[in-house]
Amino acid sequence: MSAFTTEDLFQIMRECAGEEESVELSAAAADQEFSLLGYDSLALMEAISRVERRFGIELPEDTIGEALTPAAFVGAVNAELAVRTPAVEAAG
Amino acid sequence: MTAAHALPVALLLPGQGSQHRRMAAGLYGHEPVFTEAMDEFFAAAGAEGGPMRDDWLAELPVTDMDHVTRSQPLLFAVDHALGRLVLSRGVRPAALLGHSIGELAGAALAGVFDPRDAAGLVLDRIRRLAAAPPGGMLAVAASTQEVAPYLSGDVVVGAVNAPRQTVLAGPDAPLDAIGRALREAGFVCRRVPSLSAFHSPVLEPACRGAAERFAAVRRGRPAVPVHSAYTAAPLTESDIDDPRFWARQPVAPVLFWPALEGLLATGDHLLVEVGPGQGLSQLARRHPAVRRGSSAVVSLLPARPGPPEADRAAWEAALERIAAAGHPVGGGSDGRGRPQWSAATG
Repeated sequence: MSAFTTEDLFQIMRECAGEEESVELSAAAADQEFSLLGYDSLALMEAISRVERRFGIELPEDTIGEALTPAAFVGAVNAELAVRTPAVEAAG
Repeated sequence: MTAAHALPVALLLPGQGSQHRRMAAGLYGHEPVFTEAMDEFFAAAGAEGGPMRDDWLAELPVTDMDHVTRSQPLLFAVDHALGRLVLSRGVRPAALLGHSIGELAGAALAGVFDPRDAAGLVLDRIRRLAAAPPGGMLAVAASTQEVAPYLSGDVVVGAVNAPRQTVLAGPDAPLDAIGRALREAGFVCRRVPSLSAFHSPVLEPACRGAAERFAAVRRGRPAVPVHSAYTAAPLTESDIDDPRFWARQPVAPVLFWPALEGLLATGDHLLVEVGPGQGLSQLARRHPAVRRGSSAVVSLLPARPGPPEADRAAWEAALERIAAAGHPVGGGSDGRGRPQWSAATG
């Protein structure tokens, strides 16, 4: 099971865009480019910032910059979380 | 004829911020209607037309594309020429909505202004604005309510692009200071490509006297409703007749999102972005009517600058999508004669 899901990302994107909760993004949206979903670089920058704050991580610019779709974005976040998790457990 | 079930077409004409190097240049010399409309504009611009055209087509323009003397006339000309091209293929828009200078292009396309008069008005505007104090624009991922406590002096809301995309405009120093304060508070900001503080009081003195120029040209009734981003409602006869309404546009805030909501409240549309980039398309895709699929968005040009072939491929793909949406698209024509509108509205 992933620590960060596509639905988590969609929820964050909707908050970033100030969209109504009632309007759902379809499952197929995970593989569409952000621009086709209406999310420009400003909205994406805010989503990155929110994810970083929520998980206390820093997403590498080159990895996240290449993530053009929600699926790729979620993959990049989970890869970063996987790297960090052992450290968190050790600290706890 | 348009299929009975087809969504009516609304053209979205982008403005400041959407300009880029060689925007739509891949269609120049390939699409006769587009080419002729651009050449008409450069001819109407007189001595300034040649350098403008050279910079438009240059890999390395002499004058920066973000400078008011390039961004404004070329956005106007490209939006208008693309609109003419779309009309020449038999697409019959039911409404227009322009952002910033895009509204003037839309008004010219709908017949409110003669294209030559409009070219003269655009040139008058840029001469005035080139003399205005420098400034800029800052897009903030925040609502107007969220940014309100940070505003001061000449820094104002210049555009409401979406529920959480607000563009601030003002002189560079206070704009930078407000940008820093917003970032410290956790807001994400990005400079809009502009070397002028469009849609802010900074431009007010420069726009004095512009009304006389608007008063001097004949203004007709639009062939189809032109939704104004300055009133968030279709242009009225009193808007059209009031020279100050037009003269104040570089100073007044752009209410794009409220205007889009007004347009889509009249019914679902196929929203066709007629201009460089896909900025308005991206904003429109956030609208609930587009999210749920009852309205749709088509962009005529690529999202990012690219080779000339990319412009042509995007244009051809867009025509196919418009045709697939129930609007039969004809072949190219020589582009002579006035734009054709539907019998019901023309």
